Amino acid sequence: MDLLQGTLYGLGVALQPINLFYCFVGVFIGTLVGVLPGLGPAAAVALLLPSTFTATPVAAIIMLAGIYYGAMYGGSTTSILVNIPGEAAAVVTCLDGHAMARQGRAGPALGISALGSFIAGTLSVVMLTFLAPFLARVTLSFGPPEYFALMTLGLTLLTYFARASMVKALLMATVGLLLGTVGQDTITGTFRFTFGIPTLEDGLGLVPVIMGLFGVSEVLLNLEKVGEKHEVFAAPVRGLLPNREDWKLSSMPILRGSLLGFFLGILPGAGAIIASFVSYATEKRVSRYPERFGSGVIEGVAGPEAANNAAAGGAFIPLLTLGIPANAVMAILLGALMIHGLQPGPLLIKQAPDVFWGIITSMYIGNAMLLVLNLPLIPMWARLLRVPYAVLFPFILLFCLIGAYSVGNNIGDGVVMWIFGIVGYLMKKFDYEGAPLILALVIGPMMEEALRQSLILSAGSFTIFVSRPITAGFLAAAVLLLTIPIVRRRQPRPGEVTRAAGPTLEET
Amino acid sequence: MGKDLASGLFWLAVSIVVLMQGLALRLGSLSRPGPGFFPFWGGLLLALLALILLGGALRRRGTISLFGVRWPKLLLVVAALLAYLLLLERLGFATVTSLFLLLLFRLEGKGWTWSVVASVLGAASCYALFHVWLRTQLPAGPFGF
Repeated sequence: MDLLQGTLYGLGVALQPINLFYCFVGVFIGTLVGVLPGLGPAAAVALLLPSTFTATPVAAIIMLAGIYYGAMYGGSTTSILVNIPGEAAAVVTCLDGHAMARQGRAGPALGISALGSFIAGTLSVVMLTFLAPFLARVTLSFGPPEYFALMTLGLTLLTYFARASMVKALLMATVGLLLGTVGQDTITGTFRFTFGIPTLEDGLGLVPVIMGLFGVSEVLLNLEKVGEKHEVFAAPVRGLLPNREDWKLSSMPILRGSLLGFFLGILPGAGAIIASFVSYATEKRVSRYPERFGSGVIEGVAGPEAANNAAAGGAFIPLLTLGIPANAVMAILLGALMIHGLQPGPLLIKQAPDVFWGIITSMYIGNAMLLVLNLPLIPMWARLLRVPYAVLFPFILLFCLIGAYSVGNNIGDGVVMWIFGIVGYLMKKFDYEGAPLILALVIGPMMEEALRQSLILSAGSFTIFVSRPITAGFLAAAVLLLTIPIVRRRQPRPGEVTRAAGPTLEET
Repeated sequence: MGKDLASGLFWLAVSIVVLMQGLALRLGSLSRPGPGFFPFWGGLLLALLALILLGGALRRRGTISLFGVRWPKLLLVVAALLAYLLLLERLGFATVTSLFLLLLFRLEGKGWTWSVVASVLGAASCYALFHVWLRTQLPAGPFGF
């Protein structure tokens, strides 16, 4: 099936009324989650995963994907109007977006982020459409050694982009790998680290762990901030459409942001947050008036907002072509595909073309829906932001409890979530990030299997990892990434840009 | 004691437990790695990273700022979450959810009337949303909901 055929076939799938409905529900919930600070897309996707069990696989993934890229749109609204990021990837948008709102230009700021997001989101789906089938053909020849090397590189990349210390990020990745071994060993059937607890026999559930680390712990941290009140921008928002001058200034930032975002989105761990920061830094560098950044220049809104949306599209590449998730949300989507009996990876395009093309084309439609949802409905989202946290947080906790319980109708999963809620809180207090742990937890079992199979293949010789060119290349890149920070100790790493530029939030 | 020192010691302790478990699970041979192979090497990596962290921590000084936190409230919320899970299958979704919301609203200083009405309404809407509309299976209590 070639590109055109595939896209047309995908449109046929995505335009079915039921799939349109799921797509709409997904992007609507996504926008809601993006607008509300303290509930990220990872927790939301995890929460809604059980409710998609009865749907068809296509519908389920279309909806869950919609939540993800929908959240990227919603996050900017909160950044601009309240000066707190509704979603972690919208942190930079606060800088110039809120400054614009203070100058009475909230309308164009919201408008350019919605339109820029739409353009970037669409461009990134176009690139996804072209790249994914091609890459799937390349990765088809990958054996266990290639997979092991690629996953090693992925985890290393993730820790390289870590905002705090790389050692701590590596530590979290290792803990995640070890947590991934909990449960029954797939090869020998031996129970490992279960300590006689029935809930652990199937391994640690991804949904309860994510709900704990990203949902519960976030609420606990927010509860500590006593009496911190954020003023919602009160003035009525007028004139959402950016004028000709705005467009002239924004078009190049949107284009650059789309490209940057898409390619950074492919890399595991880099994702939407880093993409938005890199885009902001780039725009500031190429600008003729860098000193005005932060005082409300539209380029500082258009670039990063385009970048984080494009990154959401790029993140689908490793999932659809390799079966390796690039972030926590993709990890849940991977889980969702497997629950529906599909094996994500290079074979997906052959085995389930309806899913492969359906998801991709649904994103064109979803992006259009988001534009419609976001521009006229902004007053409604703004009103939602006035709901006090005292009313909001009990419900967020409740949703986490319901989500964790309903995956398997098991109280044990709820307790796992409870424990990881506390763990996540302590991790934040001790400056550890959750993202490497989650990703390692998901790919841990795959990595272990690939490693053991490789060793069986090579009869116990590690030369299998250096004699195959692709494997050796991936591993060499990983080693290089590990040594760069040691060699250039004094120079700031890309992750450190983010620490200087604004408040850090947990990667979702 | 600094953050890195405290957490480094913790991870070192964890790595020792993992290493012992890994050995107990049998490592197998290189050509046929056993169930303990991956945990063992993972544990070794963890120990190494914990030592690097500790090495850095000993050169710097720091303090943990866990004090000044609103402990009573935080502990109460954490306890309420656990209580919710422990009572869920005994009392049923609707009852436990109402009580849970009531407790948290009161904790935030909302008035009694407001809290009671909001928690009952909140529980009812969640029941409608998850049980009736999304068809999530939720445990029923002695009263059937």
